[in-house]
Amino acid sequence: MTKAPPVIELHDLKKRFGVGDAEHLALNGMELVIEKGEFITIMGPSGCGKTTLLNILGLLDQSTDGQYKLDGIEVSSFGSRRKAHIRSQQIGFVFQSFNLIARLSVIDNVALPLTYKGLTKTKRLKMASDMLTNFHLEEREYYMPYQLSGGQTQRVAIARALVNSPSIILADEPTGNLDSHSSHIIMEELSDLHKRGNTIIMVTHNPRLTSYASRVITMLDGKIDTDTLMPLIEPPAVTPKRPLGAKTRKKKTTTKKKPAAKKATPRKKKA
Amino acid sequence: MRFLLINHIQNARQSLKANHLRSVLTMLGVTIGVASVTAILALSSGASKVVSDQVDQLGGNIAVIRPGAATTDPLGNLIGQDTTAHDYSASTITEDDLSLVTAISNIQTIAPLMILSGPVKADSSAPTGTPIVATTPALASIAQLPIDKGQFLDPAVNQNTAVIGVQLSIDIYGTEDSVGRKIDIRGTSFTIIGVLKRLNNPINYNNVDFDKAVIINFDSGKLLNQSIAQIQQIDMRATSVANLDQVIIDTNKTLLLSHGGQTDFSVLSGTQISQPTSQLFYAIAGVTAVVAGISLLVGGIGIMNIMLVSVAERTREIGIRKALGATNSDITWQFLIESLAISIGGGISGYLIGYGAAFAISTFLTFNPVLNWQIAAVALGISLIMGTIFGLYPAFKASRKDPIDSLREYS
Repeated sequence: MTKAPPVIELHDLKKRFGVGDAEHLALNGMELVIEKGEFITIMGPSGCGKTTLLNILGLLDQSTDGQYKLDGIEVSSFGSRRKAHIRSQQIGFVFQSFNLIARLSVIDNVALPLTYKGLTKTKRLKMASDMLTNFHLEEREYYMPYQLSGGQTQRVAIARALVNSPSIILADEPTGNLDSHSSHIIMEELSDLHKRGNTIIMVTHNPRLTSYASRVITMLDGKIDTDTLMPLIEPPAVTPKRPLGAKTRKKKTTTKKKPAAKKATPRKKKA
Repeated sequence: MRFLLINHIQNARQSLKANHLRSVLTMLGVTIGVASVTAILALSSGASKVVSDQVDQLGGNIAVIRPGAATTDPLGNLIGQDTTAHDYSASTITEDDLSLVTAISNIQTIAPLMILSGPVKADSSAPTGTPIVATTPALASIAQLPIDKGQFLDPAVNQNTAVIGVQLSIDIYGTEDSVGRKIDIRGTSFTIIGVLKRLNNPINYNNVDFDKAVIINFDSGKLLNQSIAQIQQIDMRATSVANLDQVIIDTNKTLLLSHGGQTDFSVLSGTQISQPTSQLFYAIAGVTAVVAGISLLVGGIGIMNIMLVSVAERTREIGIRKALGATNSDITWQFLIESLAISIGGGISGYLIGYGAAFAISTFLTFNPVLNWQIAAVALGISLIMGTIFGLYPAFKASRKDPIDSLREYS
């Protein structure tokens, strides 16, 4: 592990939205090194740049400034085709809002990433079916997404992210909409993948889930606030900024402003 | 890439099915355009096939001389520069030319056609525009005009005799048997000595509907026309097919010499003869072609419109696909194949409907539409080109979408 370059290496990473007065730094000088096989949960108030970070890590978005090395190679040199190839081969996404394609059946949705890998249809369906069985969805294969419950939908979304056995899994609140039983199934699956040597980066608001992680990072205002390189033994709810009452209040005011600012900026960007 | 192509096709089928009515309406635009193109092509090649079949039937050793230089420009035909426009123009072929050409060796028979118009009367007036054909008896053998009653023109009989088409006979006298009756042509009285059998082919290389024509002797025709021969066409039959080329070359040389080096005539043989047959037909075909062109354009705009809507509707899907590893070209192909599916679907149904229409129209005409692979290829080609041209921009637009912006969009 010491020999191989870290899977992900960020140096002074910045992401700016908007221009002029509306300028807003979603990421403001991130420094982060992730080794192969880590299970990282990222926590933090909304608007602190967690999703933006995941998007950049997943090569969906580009940083404004700074370095991002994936497997030791600077990604800003990659063309869009190469990035798409990496997304297809190495990265699995689990989105905050499921993002299933509504007009495709469950199994077609799960098989979609394999399409872009160039597998034959039978192979795709076989692998997708196996993956769905892992998530106890084998009886829902030919349902349409709108016929599923929220928990089932999210399980399909996760199955889709895992089907091409990516080495890096980026999950944006994978259990956000699930009951504890379903969350448990999913977290078990994730930690199983982790044990098999995959790198997992998960954004969550649920402090309980950090118990599965090997490392917990909290973010604040586009920077890393706390970072434990050690696995947590105690239930984590204690660790984050609870005791500093005055400071929390201050943060709360800032975070309240943030969503408004963030909402305003993308609109500007579109116009 | 091969697997993806199949996948794109499945995808296109799915998404077109999902918006069934929309897809069908868009296809309809293409269908109408392709249908009219197919019908025009089928009918016009049917019309020219009629003439070329006649030429083949006659043994393939027929050549004709027409006044005016040969035009290969189809638009020229439409505007009326056609060499066969016999109603108004003074012919450049003279009686001298006729005698010069007659002297050429290897010609079996030769017949001039002098087409006049004017009042043809008997008991009742004949329909206006009844062609008066002044020719020599040889025409019967060259054009293979069968006689039903009486006889064809003969140098031995009186000058003022005429042979009429069966339809004209019925129109004027109400009977097919009008031999011996008098007919008044441009004020001169003629005796009918023969009635032709029904030919039922108004389109032929002589540009005369013999069913409705009155045929008189060449000399009588000249007398009706102030003693000036105005020859619209000279039909020649070579002694054999092998000699035809030599006859054409000799004719060209002879006429060029007598016309002082001016190519104000054309010697045509084989398929060339069949090209400009009916002015009216080509005018109609031209107008319909313009309509077809416009409807193809409108259909194409329809495709582009629907594809742009489809891209906008599926922005989120594009974002998801990109996040899952689709390249820009994957997305481009996905949408391009969808638009191609619309246009090809429209093209195929247009081809079928076009033939249906062509056969329906042909029941009112004297010839049948032609079924051949070229027309199918044209129909398919048009739809492929349309799908590509009008599908490219929406497809590129889809592929250029930023995945993050697309994922943020709610649909």
